Amino acid sequence: MAKKVKAKPVSRWSRFKNMDVLVLITVFFLNVFGLVMIYSASSYSNSTSLLIKQAIAVGGGIVLMLGTVFVGHTILKKLWWLIYGVAVIFLALVKTSLGVESHGARRWIHFPGIPFNIQPAEIAKIAVIITTALMICWMGNEIRNIWKVMIACGILAGPLALEIILFTKNMSTTIILCGIVGLMFFLASPCYKDYLIIAGIAVGLAAVFILISLFTDWAGFRGSRITAWLNPEEYGQETGYQTKQALYAIGSGGIGGKGLGQSMQKLNYLPEAQNDMIFSIICEEWGLFGAFTIMFVFAVLIWRIALIAMRAKSLFSSMLACGVLAHIALQVILNIAVVTNSVPNTGVSLPFISYGGSSVLCLLIEIGIVLSVNCETKEKNRDEIERRTKEYDDGNRTMPNT
Amino acid sequence: MLEVPNRLHHRKKIMIVLIGVLVIFSALAGRLVYLAAWCAEYYAAQAQELHERERSIKAARGRILDRNGVVLADNKTVCTVSVIYSQIQDPERVVSVLSEELSLPREYVAKQVGKFSSREKIKSNVSKSIGDRIREYDLAGVKVDEDYKRYYPYQELASKVLGFTGGDNQGILGLEVKYEQFLQGTPGLILTVTDAKGIEIEAAGERRVEPKNGLDLTISMDANIQAYATMLAKQVCESKEAEGVSILVMNPQNGEIYACVDIPEYNLNEPFALSEEAQSLDSKAKQELLNGIWRNRCISDTYEPGSTFKIITASAGLEDGCITPSSVFFCPGSIKVDDRIIRCHKRTGHGSQDFTHCMMNSCNPALISVGLRLGVDKYLQYFEQFGLKDKTGIDLPGEAGTIMHSKENMGNVELATVAFGQSFQVTPIQLLTTVSSLINGGRRITPHFGLHTSDETDAVIDTFAYPERDGIVSEETSATLRGILEKVVSEGSGRNGQVAGFRVGGKTATSQTLPRGSGRYISSFIGFAPADDPQVIAIAIIHTPKGIYYGGQVAAPVIRQLYENILPYLGIEGYNQ
Repeated sequence: MAKKVKAKPVSRWSRFKNMDVLVLITVFFLNVFGLVMIYSASSYSNSTSLLIKQAIAVGGGIVLMLGTVFVGHTILKKLWWLIYGVAVIFLALVKTSLGVESHGARRWIHFPGIPFNIQPAEIAKIAVIITTALMICWMGNEIRNIWKVMIACGILAGPLALEIILFTKNMSTTIILCGIVGLMFFLASPCYKDYLIIAGIAVGLAAVFILISLFTDWAGFRGSRITAWLNPEEYGQETGYQTKQALYAIGSGGIGGKGLGQSMQKLNYLPEAQNDMIFSIICEEWGLFGAFTIMFVFAVLIWRIALIAMRAKSLFSSMLACGVLAHIALQVILNIAVVTNSVPNTGVSLPFISYGGSSVLCLLIEIGIVLSVNCETKEKNRDEIERRTKEYDDGNRTMPNT
Repeated sequence: MLEVPNRLHHRKKIMIVLIGVLVIFSALAGRLVYLAAWCAEYYAAQAQELHERERSIKAARGRILDRNGVVLADNKTVCTVSVIYSQIQDPERVVSVLSEELSLPREYVAKQVGKFSSREKIKSNVSKSIGDRIREYDLAGVKVDEDYKRYYPYQELASKVLGFTGGDNQGILGLEVKYEQFLQGTPGLILTVTDAKGIEIEAAGERRVEPKNGLDLTISMDANIQAYATMLAKQVCESKEAEGVSILVMNPQNGEIYACVDIPEYNLNEPFALSEEAQSLDSKAKQELLNGIWRNRCISDTYEPGSTFKIITASAGLEDGCITPSSVFFCPGSIKVDDRIIRCHKRTGHGSQDFTHCMMNSCNPALISVGLRLGVDKYLQYFEQFGLKDKTGIDLPGEAGTIMHSKENMGNVELATVAFGQSFQVTPIQLLTTVSSLINGGRRITPHFGLHTSDETDAVIDTFAYPERDGIVSEETSATLRGILEKVVSEGSGRNGQVAGFRVGGKTATSQTLPRGSGRYISSFIGFAPADDPQVIAIAIIHTPKGIYYGGQVAAPVIRQLYENILPYLGIEGYNQ
């Protein structure tokens, strides 16, 4: 009897009805606000060119997001190797003649005939989320063994992280990659102690690094960022320039902000204001009010994803959502921390808002995965209800007989 | 294997992470409040400072007026024409209009217009009429800024007194630099908001701090007397083919200088102009040449005063009481001092004569005797008491000090030469001031130009007071001296200084310049009027005249001509009135 119910065909198009409304609203809001701010921040130097590029990327991202929902995330169980492989190969391509250098770093690749550059590091983030989720499922109870977890982490994130460090010299993406993997394992594992120790060691190492940079020149370029972090105005002409300008923007925005389009700092004082430092322009134009609104929307989004992860029916689905949560939360936190000079300057973009096509495309695919997880949960819940109703109905029918 | 259920502890951990994220969010929000509310003022001010560019508005420099209000130094509005690359719409037209109106080569203008800079100057010191014409074309990207330029209406008049200003209207020489703090004013500011490249943001508007104009300076000079003295100096300079002529006219009662001429003068509107042949010199030599042209010999150069200094020796003797006007001296034509024989200018000697006649004859041996009677110690004491050792304190920069023997090195021979005005050096202004002080009743005055400053409404702001020192000689000595000096002009060697209808006192001098025997002389004459109550005193110094070089014949007539005109002009009454 139960088999009959399970076999009932479900239209894939009906999945769209099951998408989480709050996630959709917040992501939509962030993207639109992002476009407005990119235009505001970049129009002085670039007119509408960056706005148009980003708008195309957002449009494409929404299509890919809906496509992901339509296809469903379960296909990732079979296709994970493809995405992982693409990430590994694309990252390697950065070193070839396809690699594109921009803003003093070689982090993009460009295929002939494709009108935009691809940032493979963004693909690597999706790849690492999917493969970690799978690995957690495969490991089963082995997850309690922290050494095996660490080996697994090494296998998963190792190649990508090494490539990012060696080929693109991108410290911040590596940190985020490791953070995503670490958080996912932490979420999957019933243990606390091991992770607390690891976190403690990481904090200790960071402290040692800071101290070394302060008193010696050994740490070089990254060390100079530490000294500039502790005293941005003294190093305002060199490493601390961006940070100092960001602080000026936040300070001159004050509580109420100067109003949309009124930022002074975006007039080349803050270089590439539409990129990693866009949050400071938001602060300048919208004030604390605007900054808090954005943080609130991010909090709602993260809360919604967490809820979806909690309600997910399978560990794989839950872990996928957790990975996306970790990704977004880490980037938002790191970005705002950098802009407010709470941590040393490292290039992290603000999800959905900062300029960057690859980033917004990949993020929207990730949101698609989350929405798909939510659909799965709702479908399973509906199936469950139907099954129980059926059982109840069947019972009812038999009841008079008893 | 992949259908592992989502366990309860996962949910708990997700909750923990969610709370962790929210806690970090709150911390960052707190940090934002700290930055955007607590530190807002500081960062906003820093940012403002970063965004604003200052352009200063020059303050009009105060004018310099003579005692009657004649403007000696004025301001002329000039324009600076510049272009802003990013605002130019029609470069072709801009180039053609500017090259035509400013009569500049087309290539130069095209080069400046084509430069990618926030602001490129095309030409400064453009006259206001041309500036206005260019403004009327209303060309986008062409800016005409008004500016002040110092302008001296009388060009050469009192050039060595007034001095001139530099490119930023700052005083460089003379009164212009001495009274800089009163004349300069406070520049205003235009604060404009720009982007990081310095390009102005039109919509942001500008803040203005209005400039405060400099104060007008009224000086004691009389432009008419100065002009007349200049003319006389030029005449005598030409007729005697002299190297230079200096004339100082002063009020001996208070030290107000009416005229200060030092021929050759230079054109204040083109102070850096040099003659054709000087163009080939290197810059150092050019600068030295210019410094020579700008130098005011009345104040910055010392000379051996010669016989005019006998006034000082006479005053010292009279004040000391070792001589009276009737003391008798015998001049055999020379006098032996220690092992030296010093000759009188009259080789045959003046014979027996009273002191008044000694002065009238300008007899060297007699004055040497006066000096020797006083002795080195007393002589130096009077020298100091009369104020000869110090600078006069005139309100012009670059005053030279007196060059005098030190007490230890001064024997009778040195004393003898000093007594008739040789072997030491003073500035003309020092000599004139000292003589003034001796004839005005013994009051050491400070020679000066600056009288007062006034603002645009002609209200007096600062009145300058100058130190005076009483009792350098007694009133009686002073009167005696005046009597003797009147005799010098009326009957003695200064006869050429006589002015019909006026009582003039004075003393001539003919000093040989170093090295001796070069045939180069300095002829001078100090004269004052009226002799019994001096209202004006003047000195004329002719440097290296050709032909006749006696002060009584070269310099005295200059002062006579001067007095013939300026005494009536100053309202000084002669004895006929």
